[in-house]
Amino acid sequence: MKVIVVDDSSTMRRIIKNTLARLGYTDIIEAEHGLDALTKLDGVDMIFTDWNMPEMDGLTFVKSIRSSDSYKKIPIIMVTTEAAKEDIVEAIQSGVNNYVVKPFTPDILKSKIEAVLNR
Amino acid sequence: MNVEYLNPFIKSTVNALSTMACLEPSRGNPYLRKTGQKIECDISGTIGVAGEASGSVTVSFSESVARKIVENMLGIQVDSLNDDVKDAVGEIANMIAGGAKGELSEKGYSFKIALPVVCIGKDHYTEYPKDIPCVVIPFSVEEGAFYVEICLKVDDNGK
Ligand SMILES: [Mg+2]
Repeated sequence: MKVIVVDDSSTMRRIIKNTLARLGYTDIIEAEHGLDALTKLDGVDMIFTDWNMPEMDGLTFVKSIRSSDSYKKIPIIMVTTEAAKEDIVEAIQSGVNNYVVKPFTPDILKSKIEAVLNR
Repeated sequence: MNVEYLNPFIKSTVNALSTMACLEPSRGNPYLRKTGQKIECDISGTIGVAGEASGSVTVSFSESVARKIVENMLGIQVDSLNDDVKDAVGEIANMIAGGAKGELSEKGYSFKIALPVVCIGKDHYTEYPKDIPCVVIPFSVEEGAFYVEICLKVDDNGK
């Protein structure tokens, strides 16, 4: 299972990677924003993406994945500080499979991953 | 001044530091920062805010508090205000502003938040136009004090 972690914060990428590693996912690549990530999606099985990023934000990134022929089926978990209800609704409508609000505990991340994989 | 909007920031600050850095900050009494009044700090993270509330939210740390937070967040040793600390302070500011945004949008104030800006330097502060009140909320942890400064013009029309 190859995972990509997309976030402009290196701290956040490191925390998500550490959590994933503890859950047994070790094939992990990183990107700093949506544009960067779009060039790295070959062979990726699951995407974790932030919302607020430079160059290309997470919402635009999700929309471009969902409209691409090769990548549209990859499950996406959005991990963001955006906690307003209307933002969550907008993200889900844009094609996000699950949503984690920062700050989060490892248990929360784990349950969201399981929910996405057991769909 | 309506201070109803301060509580969501207090909550999101405590939530960010307890969840991500295993710290339990205690809070002091908020005060209005006067023109030219300094805030004790070595590093700060600021998030610009625009919408029905506009201005900015800044969290300011001493070097020792900032290092402790990053050590707890990442499980690494930190001996200076390096890139890891700068990035983490920006992301903490992001969590404080984003968390408060969620609660405030339910109270009818919606706004957008910008990307974090991090500043380093002894006791630096930003001067705002006089019509924007800056409320400082002091917090403390074992390693020392830190401050969350909320400089917002809130659009109270009909609320
Ligand atoms: Mg971000």
